[in-house]
Amino acid sequence: MTTDTAQRRKERIDRGIKVRSDGIYALLSWRELAYLSVPRLVLILGILALPLLMPGMYWQRVISIVCIYAFLAMSFDFLAHYVGLVSLGGAFFVGTGGYIAALLNTTFGLPPLVTIPAALILGAAVCTLLLIPCLPLRGVYFAIVTLMYPLFMARLIEALDIFGGTDGILGIDSFTNPWVEQYFVVVMVLVLLFGLRRLVNTDLGLVLRAVKDNDQAVRASGMNVTRYKALAVFIAAGMGCLSGACLVHTYMWAGISQFALDFSVLPIAATVIGGSGTLVGPVLGCLILVPASELLRDFGTLRIVFYSLILVTFIVFRSEGLMVYGQRKYHQFQRWTEI
Amino acid sequence: MLEASELMVFYENMLALNNVTIRCGEQRIVGVFGANSAGKSTLMYALSGILLDIQKKEVMAGGERITIAGSIRFMDRDIMDLKPSRRAKMGIVLCPERRRIFNESTVLENLKIGGYLASATQKKDTLDYIFTIFPALAKLRNRLGGFLSGGEQQMLAIGRALMAQPKILLLDEPLMGLSPLMQTILMRATLEIRRQRKIAIIVTEQYARPVMPIVDYAFILENGSAVLEGTRKALMDNPDVKAAYFGV
Repeated sequence: MTTDTAQRRKERIDRGIKVRSDGIYALLSWRELAYLSVPRLVLILGILALPLLMPGMYWQRVISIVCIYAFLAMSFDFLAHYVGLVSLGGAFFVGTGGYIAALLNTTFGLPPLVTIPAALILGAAVCTLLLIPCLPLRGVYFAIVTLMYPLFMARLIEALDIFGGTDGILGIDSFTNPWVEQYFVVVMVLVLLFGLRRLVNTDLGLVLRAVKDNDQAVRASGMNVTRYKALAVFIAAGMGCLSGACLVHTYMWAGISQFALDFSVLPIAATVIGGSGTLVGPVLGCLILVPASELLRDFGTLRIVFYSLILVTFIVFRSEGLMVYGQRKYHQFQRWTEI
Repeated sequence: MLEASELMVFYENMLALNNVTIRCGEQRIVGVFGANSAGKSTLMYALSGILLDIQKKEVMAGGERITIAGSIRFMDRDIMDLKPSRRAKMGIVLCPERRRIFNESTVLENLKIGGYLASATQKKDTLDYIFTIFPALAKLRNRLGGFLSGGEQQMLAIGRALMAQPKILLLDEPLMGLSPLMQTILMRATLEIRRQRKIAIIVTEQYARPVMPIVDYAFILENGSAVLEGTRKALMDNPDVKAAYFGV
């Protein structure tokens, strides 16, 4: 090139291993196997080891809460970035799942290991049925409608004084032993995480992403968009209900506060911090936000101020999200080149 | 008047503009022709400064890294690092590809938005001028922008750009998707605008035939490089150009 201006630019180049390992056939050495598996192993072993590393019951309980929020955050990420439904109804899923698990446990005396799967399936079905009328909506309208559902349910329970009314349902069985509780949620996080990653790469995931990009084109290809959206909502609601059910068995109490908006908002913040559309990002976001919120308890009322500051800093300076940034650094290197 | 020299634009590692030098003199109409992905729109974005805006957005979203090198001079001033809004104030106004009409505003409102930089008398004057040069718009002045036909929208887009009182008007693919009749009307209007408003115009287009008769000078882009340039006559006589851009 015949430029006399001595200008430089930074170029990004995929690492050689990344280029070769994009096709699984091209793995040549242990080094390349490690390149692919080490990040995943670090994640799996790290999450599995978390309960063991925590000092004392209090922090172990925090880890359970982290995992419970992680279900919600993954379900939000899945719905928002792979189906295009921005749902503020996390609290609706948590509340429905929680109340179903609580009722099954107190009325029929079923143990947690039965009520949790039952709440997952039943709750997902109930949530999907109630949300079906809203599925043709898109964007902010869907967000508004799903925001109304938890408020609606909470007031309904309060006004009709059903399911224990404002007192909630007391005397729910806890897990038989704290380690069962810990490892149940931790393993579920990993199962759901890798399951969802598989799902979004199957043909079904392809259709869902297409629905997000251009639902008219999907309709023109002869597919029923509402059916696919309902299916996606069923999956996401199932994850939300799972977190609700785990929550009531952890707290041994179900009440209106399970419909509180925290369950809708915190997962979104976690997704933004962790990196939207990565599915791992939301888990990472929860791992940062929930303990941060606990650590900030010492500051009393100022807690929310610091919490907001953390969020603002992340969004202004790293709006792409930690995982997106990390993945780029891992897969690519940079160097200066002369133009 | 406007001179871009040795302009290079990288989208990540892909070279979108390779060492392009183009000039446009006072009251000239300059054509830029090239196929898809030749770099026409990138050139327009670079000249109008929109590229700086896109660059910033990509950085925020962690997307592609856009690198711009070279120099752009306008009326003897280096404007390479000037924001798009400052460039518009200086008189470089872009009429974007796909028209980008404000769909939910009426024709009149669209034009008024375009006149943000103009004084009250300039605004009134230009508005009258637009309605004389595009009589079709005068009848539709209270219709929503989104309900106009493609040709009417293009007229509106050019009118909106004129409201900003350009010294040099950048038209990015003004004829895209329009009927041959509408193309002729628009090109005739472009010629009139140059004559009556005394401004310079740069037009990009894929298909050169409707645009060629009105340009004074033209550049041909291929894969990001300016492979050929010349006056209208020189290019019209070039057999390669004839084959590639006139379909002869």
